[in-house]
Amino acid sequence: MSDNSSNRIVIPLGPQHPALKEPGSFTLTLEGEKVVNAVIGIGYNHRGLEKALESRTYIQNLYMIERICGICSHTHSVAYCQAIEEMCGVEIPMRAKYIRVIIAELERLHSHLLWLGVAAHEIGFDTLFMYAWRDREMVLDMLAELCGNRVNYGINTLGGVRRDIDDNDAHEIKKILRVLHNQISYYLELATNEPTLIARLADVGKLNHDDALKFGAVGPVARAAGIANDVRKIEPYAAYDEVPVNVITDDHGDVLGRTLVRVKEMLESISIIRYCLDNLPAGEILAKVPRKVPAGEMISRTEAPRGENIHYINSDGSDIPYRIRVRAPSEANWHGMKHMLEGSFLADVPIAIAAIDPCYSCTDRAIFVNSDNGESRLYDWKGLREYSIKWHRDRGLNIADIQIPMAKNYIQIQRKTND
Amino acid sequence: MNNEEIIVSKIFDRFEFARDKIHVQKRLRIISDPFSREEFEQIIEYLHDELGFKIAHHIVGIDYGEDLGFIYMLGNDEHIIFALKEKVSKENPEINSMTKYYPSLLMHELELVDLFGAIVKDLPDVPSYPLPDGWPKGNHPMRKDWNPAYFDHKTMTYNPPAKEVKEDEKQ
Amino acid sequence: MGIFKKLVSWGQKKSPWIIHFNAGACNGCDIEFIDSLTPKYDIERIGILQHGSPRHADILICTGAVTLQTRDRLIQIYEQMASPKYVIAVGTCACTGGIFNGCYCVMGGIDTTIPVDVYLPGCAVRPEAVIDAIDKLLNSNDKDKTKKKAKSDKQKEVSEESNEEKSDEQ
Repeated sequence: MSDNSSNRIVIPLGPQHPALKEPGSFTLTLEGEKVVNAVIGIGYNHRGLEKALESRTYIQNLYMIERICGICSHTHSVAYCQAIEEMCGVEIPMRAKYIRVIIAELERLHSHLLWLGVAAHEIGFDTLFMYAWRDREMVLDMLAELCGNRVNYGINTLGGVRRDIDDNDAHEIKKILRVLHNQISYYLELATNEPTLIARLADVGKLNHDDALKFGAVGPVARAAGIANDVRKIEPYAAYDEVPVNVITDDHGDVLGRTLVRVKEMLESISIIRYCLDNLPAGEILAKVPRKVPAGEMISRTEAPRGENIHYINSDGSDIPYRIRVRAPSEANWHGMKHMLEGSFLADVPIAIAAIDPCYSCTDRAIFVNSDNGESRLYDWKGLREYSIKWHRDRGLNIADIQIPMAKNYIQIQRKTND
Repeated sequence: MNNEEIIVSKIFDRFEFARDKIHVQKRLRIISDPFSREEFEQIIEYLHDELGFKIAHHIVGIDYGEDLGFIYMLGNDEHIIFALKEKVSKENPEINSMTKYYPSLLMHELELVDLFGAIVKDLPDVPSYPLPDGWPKGNHPMRKDWNPAYFDHKTMTYNPPAKEVKEDEKQ
Repeated sequence: MGIFKKLVSWGQKKSPWIIHFNAGACNGCDIEFIDSLTPKYDIERIGILQHGSPRHADILICTGAVTLQTRDRLIQIYEQMASPKYVIAVGTCACTGGIFNGCYCVMGGIDTTIPVDVYLPGCAVRPEAVIDAIDKLLNSNDKDKTKKKAKSDKQKEVSEESNEEKSDEQ
């Protein structure tokens, strides 16, 4: 043991992961190539947003709430809106609820495709990264068509939604969804059949059923460990009580499981959007909500692409909230992270961190300090990623050599859509 | 009687002081009134050990004016959210760390220390979160009497106008 | 030196290397910036390469309002870049602080911390706009401007130093 401890190396990784919503610092202690201790620190992106929310009116806050996160902005604004609508006792029109579901599922599609690309990038599979992000453009096109903006859609408002979906939009979206469905089925085939990919992802970042429960994991991380934890099913909000939702679970409990869950969820999202477009009820899209919210408190939750998102709102009866507290899903998944990292190889750290979907490109440096002689080396995230790819290549896993053809009929279908 | 009401009645049977202080808001939501520190600790222990509330989502800090409130959002396997509240005076905002029951609350307790000025007992020696390095001591931005307009970002000092200081001193 | 600078300017115009830094953004501008690297927009096809190390980069693409915690890091990254260097403030928050202006941990726009060459407003900016901003920057980067830029950089450094000295004296 004494020999081991003298060989221990401490690696501060981070603290800034500039592309993250919640940047975190990781201090990893290594024995050889195994991580024996991981300390996670977050809070570098602290802006003081909750204080600012207490000085703005409810309708002004709506725009601030959307900008908590650019990737899952819709889910935050849905959680916020439905809490206030419930406090005011306003029942929003059914058509607005359906439109909220459509946008939420489009957001899930874009977020999961984004994740798929990032995860592929972290393991050195850049072909899939480019494929996934190219397909993500189709989703963003749909969002831009429905909401007018690619990111931070601004479609929600207190009492409903601000834009309607007409038949022409629905028709266009269905056309794009056909192409997307084809592509995602292809990724699913790839994830389940490609031996190199499976060998790289299986048994990495393990979090089994009991641990996931213990650490309170949410979203795809929990579902990949076999926990059917999905707010859309547990506590159906918006129109989810009418829309058929299948909760996707998997029993792998590792990064492969999380990949499968996310890819299957994308297919599920597509079928939900199709159902909503086919069964879109007629009527108004906006109900009137008073400016002043009655005194009281409300806890509202939604299923964000990354998991359970909880908003707490306390009103003192004025037009300005007394207190708003947002528990974003990644906040819950950090705790399981420590467990996932401990016992894994240094080379698996980038993908294990990426697999809970907190980050995708980090330009910060990691300092390797050898406690023996005080020697330190500077690595950035890219360096660690390259080290990781090389480490696996030396062991016979060369992801970059995977040749993947375009999905069949991709170009033909896209041409048809363009016509 | 549904699950939520069963849980509430169990607490009422066990703790006489809690009677009528906890109510079911709606499906999957149980909200309590603020309890004192000792009462709160008895209830949270009971919830964790016997009623199966093994998950802690987060803690919400609230400035009630005279007092500081802390709302612990607990969850169980049936996905019920139990909002258990604790209230301490601002003069002595001392609470015990609940990380012995819920290790995941560590981050949220650190947040209470920084943003609300709570004194959390038995916290491990970890760096502060989430305020930046060099933040002036004694400034707790989430308290209602702290106004960000008086904070100078360049020098990292808090300079309230003289009038307000006098009023505070009188009180 | 004149020829050398011309050469650098000419080289930079053909293939600028960029580094991306998030100073406290909501991620919206960041994903849109990454989007501009991927097949639909693909700024690499016009010779613009994203790079992880500030020492190799010519252009700093900076998103988000500057938070107190990232301020020193931003200055550090800016100082590590080799001159001539350029900064593009991407997004409304990066230009003025935007919706986060007035938050207790937010300094304001990027220009409160480091000098900015191009302001690119939008919430979130579109990838086309990112490409346009880089294009505008490069086209303004003729030989005269480069000279002026180098001079003004020097002056800034000098004035900063003198300011520091003054503040030390105080």
